[in-house]
Amino acid sequence: MNEMKVGRYVVLTDRLYTETDEWVVLSNDNVVVVGITDYAQKKLRDIVGIELPQLQKEVKAGESVGVIESVKAAADIFSPLSGIIVEVNNKLLEHPEIINKDPYGEGWIFKLKASKLSEEKEKLLSPEKYIEKIKGG
Amino acid sequence: MFVSPFHDLEEKLRANFGEFAGWEMPMNFTSYAEEHMSVRSSVAFFNLSHMGRLRVKGNPKEFEMLVAKEVSKTNSGNMIGPTAFLNDKAGFKDDVMVYKVSENEWLIVTNAINREKIVNWIKSNSNLDVEDLTFKYGMIAIQGRKLEEILGKNELKPLEFKLNTKFMGYDVFLVSKSGWTGENGLEVWVTLDIGRQLIMDLVKIGIKPAGLIARDSLRQEMGFVLYGEDIDETITPVEARYWVFSLEKDFIGKDSLVERIKSGIEKVRIGFKMKKGERIIPRHLSKIYSLGNEAGYVTSSTFSPYLNRVIGMGYVNPKYFYLGYNLAVEIRSKQYDIKIDEFPFI
Repeated sequence: MNEMKVGRYVVLTDRLYTETDEWVVLSNDNVVVVGITDYAQKKLRDIVGIELPQLQKEVKAGESVGVIESVKAAADIFSPLSGIIVEVNNKLLEHPEIINKDPYGEGWIFKLKASKLSEEKEKLLSPEKYIEKIKGG
Repeated sequence: MFVSPFHDLEEKLRANFGEFAGWEMPMNFTSYAEEHMSVRSSVAFFNLSHMGRLRVKGNPKEFEMLVAKEVSKTNSGNMIGPTAFLNDKAGFKDDVMVYKVSENEWLIVTNAINREKIVNWIKSNSNLDVEDLTFKYGMIAIQGRKLEEILGKNELKPLEFKLNTKFMGYDVFLVSKSGWTGENGLEVWVTLDIGRQLIMDLVKIGIKPAGLIARDSLRQEMGFVLYGEDIDETITPVEARYWVFSLEKDFIGKDSLVERIKSGIEKVRIGFKMKKGERIIPRHLSKIYSLGNEAGYVTSSTFSPYLNRVIGMGYVNPKYFYLGYNLAVEIRSKQYDIKIDEFPFI
């Protein structure tokens, strides 16, 4: 897995990003995996709770689908794409700190069956563009 | 912004830095929960160099007028505290630790945010000589249940301190048996060079660094207040239930304090716990309700790694202050049960 570093933040090259600091891994069957970035988890600091998205819910790109509670603040989780929530990472309910430890792996938050993938994909940020966004942050 | 005097060393120890009271300080190194539990089950150390440290010399009668507790009753080599400097309305200028060096010399630890304010306040309310030692020394607190098991028995009794002494082989300015975690602990004031060596030695013998987030969760478990969150110039020790004064002496703010006790108070500090499994944190100034009536507000809250639940404190109208009684806190337009409980929580 290729990774790039901006200061103390890690950005992976195998996925796309949002302006609101989610990452998205695309796959063949239009199901995407979503989590928050290393930058986001470090900004939030220690994560102590999470409200997961509602299963089977139809959501729009940019819609708030859940909340992350950290010792510092509560932060919305936004859906990067339109579609239906098909799976959530229930492990995070008991152990939300996994997001701090492994934001790009075990700390994934939900899976979404994207309905407008081809048109909405264009709005996601490439790793390079995401790096530009968090530089100096 | 001031920067931790051990910043580069802490960077090597993988600190995540953040701003606190105008200082860039380590917030955590691994996770606050691990660091918190190190203190409760073993031992950890904190860099508290951001806290204001002052040396005050002069007439003991003048000093006594500034401090809400009786300084004259404490022996030299002992700490008076926590105590407070109050304004003339009995609101907190600051809550402080006072170290009695001799009959006419004292050391004071202030909250970082109040350091300059307190220097100016002492100067404008007395002829005492004030020297700011904050940037001359670092302060490192070593705290935890296994302190003596790991560092050996210390001859100091709680709230005793020693000046110009040896600590772990180094010449240090001060060692005190004190802390803000509820555990056995020592606090050391050291020159910055020796501080660096001390930090490296502590890490070498397996004592882990902890950051300010863990310090905050530890103090909340004990029910200790944080200036700026739980107390400020508008809150008196009576509302805060922070018994840091003596009515047997005179001090600035005493008349107002007595008046407040006589007339009664409109709000009082409570501690609360949320239901187990509720992993949602009410933030500063979240509203507290009793059966639909607004009853008060939250001042501090966190997830307690030791109790595995959310705890907090705030102020409510005294008519709602029943131990064990359920109130509700509003978080993002939704109400969650909280149960009033007494400090310390552990």
